[in-house]
Amino acid sequence: MAIKVNLDVMLVRRGMKSKELAEIISITTANLSILKSGKAKAIRFSTLEAICKALDCQPSDVLEYIED
Amino acid sequence: MKDNTTILTVITYGLLLGAVSVLLNDMREFDFNQFEKFQNWAKTANKSENWFTSKNAIEWSYYAISAGLFFWRGYLIYGFSYFLSILKEIEAGNYFSDKNIKYFNKIGNIFIWYTLNVLILRFLLALIGNATFDFFDELKSEFTFLIPVGLAFFILAEIFKRGKEVEEDNELTI
Repeated sequence: MAIKVNLDVMLVRRGMKSKELAEIISITTANLSILKSGKAKAIRFSTLEAICKALDCQPSDVLEYIED
Repeated sequence: MKDNTTILTVITYGLLLGAVSVLLNDMREFDFNQFEKFQNWAKTANKSENWFTSKNAIEWSYYAISAGLFFWRGYLIYGFSYFLSILKEIEAGNYFSDKNIKYFNKIGNIFIWYTLNVLILRFLLALIGNATFDFFDELKSEFTFLIPVGLAFFILAEIFKRGKEVEEDNELTI
């Protein structure tokens, strides 16, 4: 997988639980789990914006490119 | 949408029942009028005559082909019954399901096989009856429209296949 989602790391840094974040950004915990596990095929700008706002971070803190 | 599928299901049931009753009626008429005539002829036929070259074989071929035509008509009705399965899937909210793709392919296959086989059987029937068979006239006749319809169902299956992929992508877009 070329794009790694570092949501877990950011959640630990901010001391926030997955359920809490899911509620803030208005997505289901199941969808957040898909995002965290890297099974998601795409992420909407609106979701990314909401995540960045909730975790007070930049998109680069959440997403990371890893060369295969 | 649910109301529409209910109406379509009722219409499909009506069409299927109509088609089955017409087929059964034709089969009944075939048995009573023609098979009886053949049975009477068989009773008086020369039994010592060679089977393959006799009129007997020709007559039997005629009935076998007629039975084949009935079979293919039944097969076409069976193909139409897949519309009900598709409507059932749509009613359940599974628009781009694997089942629907399979049903569209099956309907396409049935329509094309029906047309080709009926065309062949009609040709054989004309051959046995010493009647003239004009291939292009037969192609012009009303039943051959099922070939483009069958192809349209194959296209629909491909579209639904792509639709399913898009739906899956959409579900995995967070």
